[in-house]
Amino acid sequence: MNKHKLLIFALLSLFLFVFVSGGVFAVNATVCCQKTTSNLYCQNVPSDQCAAGSLQTPSACSQTSFCKAGYCYDSRQGNCMSNTPKVVCDLNNESWTETEPASCGLGCCILGDQAAFVPLVRCKILAGFLGIQANYNKQITNEVSCVLSVQGQVKGACVYESEFEKTCKFTTMSDCTSGSNASITNATFYKGKLCSAPELGTICGKTKETMCLPGKDEIYFKDSCGNPANIYDASKINDVDYWSNIKTKLESCGPSASNGNSKSCGNCNYLLGSFCRDSKDAGSSASYGDNICADLNCKNTQNRNSYKHGESWCVYNDAGKTGTGNTAVGARFYKHICINGEEVLEQCADFKQEECIEDKINTSLGSFSQAACRVNRWQDCLVQTEKQDCENLDKRDCLWKEGIALNVNSGSGACVPKNTPGLKFWDSEGDASSVCAQANAQCVVKFEKGLFGGEKCKDNCECLTDSWAKQRNDICMAIGDCGSKINWLGDKGYKTGYNVTISASSSKS
Amino acid sequence: MEKHNDYKLKNPVDRMEKGSKMAKKGQMAIFIIVAIAIVALILLIAFYPRIRSVVTGGELTSSNFIKSCIGSDVQTNMELMNNQGGYISPEGFYVYNGKKLKFLCYTNEYYKTCVVQDPAVVSHYEKELANAIKSKAAQCYADMKTQYQKQGYSVSGILRDVKVELTDKSVNVLFDAPLSISKESTSTYNGVTIQIDSKIYNLLSIVQSIVEFEAYYGDSETTNYIQYYPDLKIEKIKQSDGTKVYKVSDVISKEEFDFASRSLSWPPGYEGVNAK
Repeated sequence: MNKHKLLIFALLSLFLFVFVSGGVFAVNATVCCQKTTSNLYCQNVPSDQCAAGSLQTPSACSQTSFCKAGYCYDSRQGNCMSNTPKVVCDLNNESWTETEPASCGLGCCILGDQAAFVPLVRCKILAGFLGIQANYNKQITNEVSCVLSVQGQVKGACVYESEFEKTCKFTTMSDCTSGSNASITNATFYKGKLCSAPELGTICGKTKETMCLPGKDEIYFKDSCGNPANIYDASKINDVDYWSNIKTKLESCGPSASNGNSKSCGNCNYLLGSFCRDSKDAGSSASYGDNICADLNCKNTQNRNSYKHGESWCVYNDAGKTGTGNTAVGARFYKHICINGEEVLEQCADFKQEECIEDKINTSLGSFSQAACRVNRWQDCLVQTEKQDCENLDKRDCLWKEGIALNVNSGSGACVPKNTPGLKFWDSEGDASSVCAQANAQCVVKFEKGLFGGEKCKDNCECLTDSWAKQRNDICMAIGDCGSKINWLGDKGYKTGYNVTISASSSKS
Repeated sequence: MEKHNDYKLKNPVDRMEKGSKMAKKGQMAIFIIVAIAIVALILLIAFYPRIRSVVTGGELTSSNFIKSCIGSDVQTNMELMNNQGGYISPEGFYVYNGKKLKFLCYTNEYYKTCVVQDPAVVSHYEKELANAIKSKAAQCYADMKTQYQKQGYSVSGILRDVKVELTDKSVNVLFDAPLSISKESTSTYNGVTIQIDSKIYNLLSIVQSIVEFEAYYGDSETTNYIQYYPDLKIEKIKQSDGTKVYKVSDVISKEEFDFASRSLSWPPGYEGVNAK
């Protein structure tokens, strides 16, 4: 009987244990949640963070039917967004498919002398904005070919009659002669000619006005019919040939200069940092017309260098050095960018999880600096035991410290992060203490008693020197925000940052 | 006595001077009144068509009235939406400088790319703005009808819907409101469209592209966009928790759109290194 009671008690206990632990498990288990309490969709969170009434499944979101990622097609704009969960797409009343739908297929959208590699619906929208008819070509399968397809189109003066007057439109040959443009009938195309050419006998003539064209860097003269002529050059304002024949960029004024803020030359070059802008926006004006090559470059930046518009470069302004295994606490890498004459800074990830790298591209127009925030690959430094593996730049960003080891007497050197990762040392629940503890070392120094009294150091005597303590501190500082470090402002901590404790123990051997 | 005489002698002269001064002042006042009248007449002649367009019938009147009535409301709502990632009352946001920035792409995890939270930025913006101005639009439509009735017109029509359409140069507010106005003759209109200059469409298109990059690669390269769009400025401000605050603006129109994203972030220190 007692045995039965014991068995029942044991079964009940087991049941209770399973129930309670199951309950605990149910609360803490990560689930795919359709909507979290923070109102964010399709997140893998503990189930208690799921919003009331939200769908949830104890598996990864990618495995669920409601949060599976796919293509969301916005039929109004003709845009496709990949990696979109079904539920998010449905909530926006857009159509979702797991695989790419045909409507998302890209093709070459030719819009006059411009091109875009977009879906068909998007092409129609762009054509509507420009007020022209689009030519969509699905046979062109990449963006580069698409852009190239509109370059080198033959341009010239398209002369036709309108309201009993001989008028002209500066356009491509295909636009002039294909009949796609309803307003142009019985037109004659004059290749390489401008509408203001006197020999054409049209109503279009030269003016002192200028214009900016979509997709073009330069300022163009404008004829009396509103057509663009050649690139603005104040010295050619009355030059008949300049108003008659098309001149290339290289045949125009200042072809290899940026011509930023030039009053007389409109040969702006975006790669060199100038672009056609309204004089009011640019803050200065040209000798003729309302436009000028606005100077977009940055002069005398924070590091006292000048940069072109679009150039980026790395800046480290914090205290201490980088790349030596002892980066200051709270230090951060920065990428600076020159945008429209303004120096804009972009932080790399905090806790030194990213570092800034930069290089220069040499072009025919000079060098161009480019920088990027790149992941700091320090994570597996401490487990490398060979110098060659440690310094393998293809895999990691580590530094080999010769002569010292992470653990005393465990190797000929230590592999540590080049730029030490930051730690949340102020957070009592963080892992800073355990990380820093990895650099703890115990060194047993053996003394030998002399025959006539006194002691003589026999083993590990170097551990008693100041240089050993310094080496251990170096290791400590190299693994994270540990040891006696300075912060990003160059200030030392209030405490030493490490302890050297010497205690005696007697043993016979 | 002399003093008295002096007074007597001086007094008529003073009075004469005073009288002539008053006469001059009177003339001046007349001249000023006449000048004001002439200026008013010139102004009336110059702006007569515009004044007339507000008080008489016609589509121009309707759109002018509606634009003056709802224009500031559209601008205010757009400003609010632009400051909050395209939402009037964002849910799932990051607080930055007191502003609630909607997460357009988000993951709560480390080492993972984000999950898209708004797949159709432009279309959503259009719907959100249309909803935000709906009540004001109804009020403006009613006010317009009242205005016509005060002018002696007989007006019939209802506001069926208000839609917003973004284009590369403007924000178009479309009033789906058939309207019939009659006095001596009858005019009918299908609706009213008002246009407000804005570059928000271009900014939203860039935002959509950034979100796609965030979801696919975990980050976006802002300098790539600058190479293609001269008027664009993008600021990316990385926060300690891995959140990125984006500020996308047009340097010419000065319009700005701010939003947040959290994608492919790393924890501080060694947390999760083994789990990875």
